[in-house]
Amino acid sequence: MNNRSINLEIGGGEKACYTVPIGPTHPALKEPIRFTFDLSGEQIVGVDIKPGFAHRGIEYMGMRRNLIQTLYLSERICGICSISHPLAFTQAVENAAGIEVPPRAQYIRTIIGELERIHSHLLWAGVGAHELGFDTLLHLVWNVREKCMDLLEQLTGNRVDYAIPIFGGVRRDIPAEKAPLAYEALDYYKGLLQQMIDAFLHDKSVEMRTRNIGVMTYDQAIELCSVGPTTRASGVKKDVRVDMPYLAYADMDLHAITPEDFGTEPIGDVYDNIIVRLLEVAQSIEIIEFCLENLPEGELSSIPKVPALLAALKKAEGEGIGRHEAPRGEVFHYVRLVEGQDEMAVWKVRAPTYNNLMPWVPKFLGDEVADIPIIAASIDPCMCCMDRVHIVDEAGTESVRVKEELVRLSREKTRRMSR
Amino acid sequence: MNPETILGSFRTVLGAKLLEDRTIERQVGTINPKPVYDLWVVVDRDTLHDAVAHLCEDFNPHLAVISGDDLGSDLALNYHFTAGWGERYGEVTFTIRTLVPKNDLRIPTITDLLPGAQTSEREKREFFGIEIDGIPDARNLFLPEDMTIHPWRKDLEEETKGSVKRLVKWEERDE
Repeated sequence: MNNRSINLEIGGGEKACYTVPIGPTHPALKEPIRFTFDLSGEQIVGVDIKPGFAHRGIEYMGMRRNLIQTLYLSERICGICSISHPLAFTQAVENAAGIEVPPRAQYIRTIIGELERIHSHLLWAGVGAHELGFDTLLHLVWNVREKCMDLLEQLTGNRVDYAIPIFGGVRRDIPAEKAPLAYEALDYYKGLLQQMIDAFLHDKSVEMRTRNIGVMTYDQAIELCSVGPTTRASGVKKDVRVDMPYLAYADMDLHAITPEDFGTEPIGDVYDNIIVRLLEVAQSIEIIEFCLENLPEGELSSIPKVPALLAALKKAEGEGIGRHEAPRGEVFHYVRLVEGQDEMAVWKVRAPTYNNLMPWVPKFLGDEVADIPIIAASIDPCMCCMDRVHIVDEAGTESVRVKEELVRLSREKTRRMSR
Repeated sequence: MNPETILGSFRTVLGAKLLEDRTIERQVGTINPKPVYDLWVVVDRDTLHDAVAHLCEDFNPHLAVISGDDLGSDLALNYHFTAGWGERYGEVTFTIRTLVPKNDLRIPTITDLLPGAQTSEREKREFFGIEIDGIPDARNLFLPEDMTIHPWRKDLEEETKGSVKRLVKWEERDE
């Protein structure tokens, strides 16, 4: 065999490129999405992303039901953001129909919204720890998260799907006797926060596994239109609560959390994502305290009777935008109402993961196979939010179950680096 | 961002091509109410790319999403931008609306100006059957790769219904 034929066989001296499909069984989360990676050795040189495996046709259904039925449907878009979608949706409809919301209702919506952020960020931190191989930390964080879930149950009756907002107000009050429960939970989290920061941000192994991994630069974050903690980790100070305030956020002084608040320059890697989310838990505690202390007296809803509300909505004509900064980023709802029609003419739901799909590409490129789980998890993806449709693919798309294998690789890398 | 700054600049640059503009002011806050603004403009299809280019040049916009609205003989596309982030009370929503006739469903891509628009353009393509001229990736995104029906088109309702697989027998009762 001469030199030339050897060169041909190994592609002119370059490393051979392998294509590895991962999913629809997701490598990092229990939700379906398919990544197709081009690998050169261990390095990722290309990635193609195919979502849609959890598409249920929710917008299609919502345009065929009356608005109150659709409100409950919107709550079921996502199990974790189960108040973020209704908050954006009610605001969109209220803007379109010109319905006022009493101050007390605005504060109650804000309190539940921020409690959701606390439990969602803790859930994410646990998943992140698991992907890195720190299952002790996963169990600790998820145990701590239960306090928030208990508080939500005590305030609303449910751990998820709280059914709190309705057009023009809220369905349930937070009476004064419940306030001590909330203060107790907030004090519990304040005491734990430093422990969390120590466990994640001052841990040598976590730092080695997450620093300079999954990087998205400031410019990429802007041109790819990313949202939420994912974009703030890259130093983009974009937060709907600050930029275009609504509800009780308009009454308090807020700023967008970036790694600068921790005293480091934003890099946009996984470590910065941890910083932003942990510091946002502290910010949420402050917001809830502000709301509890300044909870205004008054009505819960401007149109409390449901038949009257339905009649008012049927008479409404116009279009409206509703936005809410959910734990994962901005949720955006657009509705158009037509007079004399029970259902909406148009309902467009934009969940945060939708805009954080493309940022995955620069985050993956150049990193190793063993980093795939933590990079995939770093944007805190939520497929059910993003997909929302219902078609089952019968063609039997490539489905390679490699999750266990990937988690094993990821853990081995942690062990290797800690040695 | 002052709504007049952005609308004034659009009136200067686009002139008569800016078919319609309106500003909706809302009061937010319960203690000390302040105004926030939703801006809506209408341009025709040929002006859309120029309008977005002007927005990208001067206002550093963020594309929230593109929504579609089936009006019968036309399809309306709303490009929902936000501009002025990073500053307390600094952001406005800015929606560019354009009409596309059903008998010639095509629109130029804006991914050359804002690469992040690709997800939303691919979604409009598969759900409304509109061709996006110049889009770098025209495959289906959320729907299966071999699916050819367009579920959000109201004139293709029967086709869509036919494609929905009834998973449980009793679901058919509501038909």
